[in-house]
Amino acid sequence: MINILLVGVGGQGTVLAAKVLAQAAQSKGWQVRTAETIGMAQRGGSVVSHVRMGSEGEPVHAPLVAPETADAIIAFEPGEAVRSLPYLKKTGAVVTAKAVVQPVTAALSTKPYRTEDVIEALGAALAESGGKLEVVDAAPFLEELGNRRALNTVLLASAVARGAVPLTVDELKEAIRACVKPRFIEMNLAAVDAVADR
Amino acid sequence: MTKKLLMANEAFAHAALEAGVRVVAGYPGTPSSELIETVARLHAEGRAHGVHVEWSTNEKAALELLAGASYAGARCLFTCKQVGLNVASDALMSLNYVGVKGGLVLYVADDPGPISSQTEQDTRRFGDFAKVPVLDPSTPEEGFAMIKEAFELSERHGTPVIVRPTTRICHASTFFDVQDETHARPLPEEGFQKNPKWIIFPRRAYEAHDEIFNRLRMIQDEACKDGLSQFNTVIEVAPGMRFDEAARLTGSQFLARKDAEGEYSDVLEWEGTPRFDFETQDGPHVGIVAGGVSAAYVREALRHLERNQAEEGLQLPAYRFLQIGTPFPFPKELVRAFLDGLDCVVVYEELDNVLEDGLLRTMGEHGIRCQIMGSSCGLRYRGENSTKEILGSLKSFMAAFADADMAHYAHCPGDGSPLVENVDALLPVRPPVLCAGCPHRGSFYAVKRALGKREAVPCGDIGCYTLGNAAPLNAVDTCLCMGAGITMAQGFSVVESDKKQVAFVGDSTFFASGLTGIANAVYNGHDITVCVLDNATTAMTGAQPHPGTGVTLMGERRKPIDIEGVLRALGVECIVGADPLDLQGSIDAAAEAIGFEGPSAIIFRSPCVQLKKPDPVLHVKQELCTGCKKCITEIGCPAIGFSAEAQGARSKDRGQAFIDPGQCNGCGLCVQVCPFAAIQKEADHD
Repeated sequence: MINILLVGVGGQGTVLAAKVLAQAAQSKGWQVRTAETIGMAQRGGSVVSHVRMGSEGEPVHAPLVAPETADAIIAFEPGEAVRSLPYLKKTGAVVTAKAVVQPVTAALSTKPYRTEDVIEALGAALAESGGKLEVVDAAPFLEELGNRRALNTVLLASAVARGAVPLTVDELKEAIRACVKPRFIEMNLAAVDAVADR
Repeated sequence: MTKKLLMANEAFAHAALEAGVRVVAGYPGTPSSELIETVARLHAEGRAHGVHVEWSTNEKAALELLAGASYAGARCLFTCKQVGLNVASDALMSLNYVGVKGGLVLYVADDPGPISSQTEQDTRRFGDFAKVPVLDPSTPEEGFAMIKEAFELSERHGTPVIVRPTTRICHASTFFDVQDETHARPLPEEGFQKNPKWIIFPRRAYEAHDEIFNRLRMIQDEACKDGLSQFNTVIEVAPGMRFDEAARLTGSQFLARKDAEGEYSDVLEWEGTPRFDFETQDGPHVGIVAGGVSAAYVREALRHLERNQAEEGLQLPAYRFLQIGTPFPFPKELVRAFLDGLDCVVVYEELDNVLEDGLLRTMGEHGIRCQIMGSSCGLRYRGENSTKEILGSLKSFMAAFADADMAHYAHCPGDGSPLVENVDALLPVRPPVLCAGCPHRGSFYAVKRALGKREAVPCGDIGCYTLGNAAPLNAVDTCLCMGAGITMAQGFSVVESDKKQVAFVGDSTFFASGLTGIANAVYNGHDITVCVLDNATTAMTGAQPHPGTGVTLMGERRKPIDIEGVLRALGVECIVGADPLDLQGSIDAAAEAIGFEGPSAIIFRSPCVQLKKPDPVLHVKQELCTGCKKCITEIGCPAIGFSAEAQGARSKDRGQAFIDPGQCNGCGLCVQVCPFAAIQKEADHD
C-alpha cells in the first residue's frame, strides 16, 4: 500500500494533483482511492487530499490515510506540512514548497509566522524521526513558467524526481495528459521538465 | 463503456442516467452538489439524452416538481445535503403517503464532523421518521449500485427511496466503468392517469399508512434474502484467517432461509466455501457490525490487526462481520441469524446509533441474549470515525471479549509522540476566510462604517458571507439556517427596538428562502435593513446559477429575476444599490438605508471573485507604508500579510504590510482603506 497526502491552503490545487497521482496508479494496474477537502475549507483554509494505492495488488478499502502510515506528504505550504506530520510514516518523505502563506490570523497577530522558522522545525523533526525532507523553492520555476498555478505540478514533479512517490517522470507526464484540461497540458508538462532537468 | 476516475458524486450521476432517470432537480449543498452538476455537464456534452436537469429555487420546490414528474411515470432524482431535506420535508412526508409511479430517488448527503454543515443530523433517522427506505453506501462503488437499485425498489413498491452517503463517500474518487451515452427511460404511453390516490385526504392518509406499513415489511424481507440483501454483507472469519481472504471466499453473501411455514429458520446458509469445520473448530462468539464508511475503516483496521498478530506469531480469534447497507427498514431476520451464537457485538457507525438501536430491538423482540457495545459504551455519537479509532477499539474488544492475546501489540498507528511538539505555538490557525478580492468584504465593512457607534445586531445567513463573522470584520452575530437572517432580525427589532437590525443575505439564499421573510417585514412593519450581497452566483457550493442569474442548467438564458424589482413588489420602500468595491459609495448607500424608518434594503452588486478575471495585482509602497496595519485590522484580506522585519522611511521599526501577488486579485478595497496612499497599482509602482 502506498499512502500519499497532499496538503496546502484552499485554492492551491491539491485536488488536481491527487487526480494526477490516482491516474498514474491506475495505469500501473493498482486499485486507487482518493479523498478531497471540498466545501468551506476551500476558502483559504487548510486542505488535505488523500491518495491510497494498492501497490501490491491488495484492495484499498478506506479513502482516508491513517496516522503514521503516509509514505509521502507533498505540501504546497510548509506550515501545512508541519500540521500533517502525525500522518507520516517513520521513514516517510516530506516534499514541501518553501514559502509560507500567511493567513489573516497571522497578519493580525503580533507573533511572526516566518518561512525560516517553519522549515527549521520541519528539518529538526525529520532529522529526529529518520524521515526525508525536500524543500522546493518553487518561485524560480513559476517565474520561468510564467504561471503561478503550476505550483502543484512543480511539487509533484519534485516528489517524483526525488523518489518520494513510486512513479517515473514519464508516468507522471502520461497522467497529466489524461487529467489536465487540454489548454493547460503543455504548461504542466513544461513544469515537469523544468523540475526534472534541474 | 469507458473507465474513468470519478468522484463518487460524479459516478452517482452516471448511475442515475444509466438507470434511465428523466428529471433531476435539487438545491446546491456540500457534500451533494457535484451530482447535479455532472448530469448537467453530460447533458451539455450531448451524452445524456432525454434528461431534464435543474437547480430549483430550493429543496421543497425541487421535490414537489419531481413528485409531479413521477406521477406521470418519469424516473426522478432529487439531490440535497442533509439540512436540505428539512426544507423539503413537508413535501416528503406527504409524498410518502401518496406514493410514486416513476422511481423517485432522494440523494441526501450527510456530513459527519460536520465538515461543511450546520448540523450533524442523520438522514437514516429521517428515513425512519418519514417511513421512507434508506440505503447507506460504504464505498463509492456500492453507492453506484445502490442508486440503480433504488430506482427499481422505488417502482417495485411505489415508494420514494433515500440514498444517503456521507461526505467521505461523496468526495472520494476511484475508477468506474461508465456508459458513454445514456437515454432517459421512455414515458409510459398512458401518461398521468387520474386517480383519487393522488389527492391526500385524511381518510386516504389512514389507508395509505397501512400500505406504507405493509410495504416496509416487504422491503425488510428483501433486505434479508432478495436483491437488496446484496448490500448487507455477512463474512465469517475463522481463527487466523485474513479478512480479505474470507470476504473473497464467502462471496460476501449470506442467506437466511425460510422453513415450510414461511418462518425464518435459525440455520445459516452460506454461499461459497463454508468457513468452519464444526467438527474441529468453534464458531465465532464475537461479532462486528458496521455501516457506511465505518465499514471500510473496520476492514482497514482488521488488516492492521492481522499484520500485527502475524508479526508476533499470534492470530486473531474467529469473528463474524456484518455490514448493513439497508439501515431502514432494518434487516431484522438477517440480523437475528447473524447474532446466532454470538455473545458480544461491537457496532461502528457515524452520527446516530441507528444500527445499534436496530440490534437491541431485534434482540428484544426475539429474546436474544447478547452484549452490544456501541455509543453507550463510549463509541462515537458525533463526529467522524477513523481507521485509527476503530483499530484501537477493536483491539480492546478482541482482547476483552474474544480472549485475543493483544499484550504484544506493538504500536497502533497514531499512538506515536508528535514529531513537532506544540504545533499550535509554531503555526497560526488557518480557518476558512472570505477570498482575497471577495466583494462581501467591502459590503460588510461599509455597513460597519455606516453604523459607526450605533448599536446594531448584524444577522448572518448560510453561504460564503457566514465568513463575515471572522476577525477583523466581526460583522455577523448570528447564523441559523437558510433565510433566517432576515426573519431573526425582525425578532430582535421587536424586543430590542433601540438597536438597529441588519440582515445579510446572499442572492441565491434570497430566492431560496428570503422572500417570505421580506413579506413578513413589510406586512408587520419591522424596522430592519436587509443587505443583499449579490455576487451573481451560489458561491460557497461552487458557483451554481440561480433565478437571479437567468442561466439554467439546460443551457438556456432567461431574463434574470431582478432582486430590486422583487423587493419593490413586496413593498420595500427604501432600496439603494451600491458597488461594494467602491467604499465611500457603499458607506453612503448603507447610511441612507439604515437611516430609513421601516424595512429597507441595500443591494451590493459585484461578481464573485472566482468568476471574474483578476485585476492587476496591488503593491505596498515601501517608502509610504507607515506600518499602521490599518489594511490588516480593518478588512482582513488574506492577500495582505505583515512583515515585522520590513522597513521604510515612514515605518521606523514597526514593520510593514506586504501584498502576496499570488493571492491578490486587485479589487482595490485596501487602496481605499490605507490612510497614507501606500497601496497602489503595479503601474504606479516604482
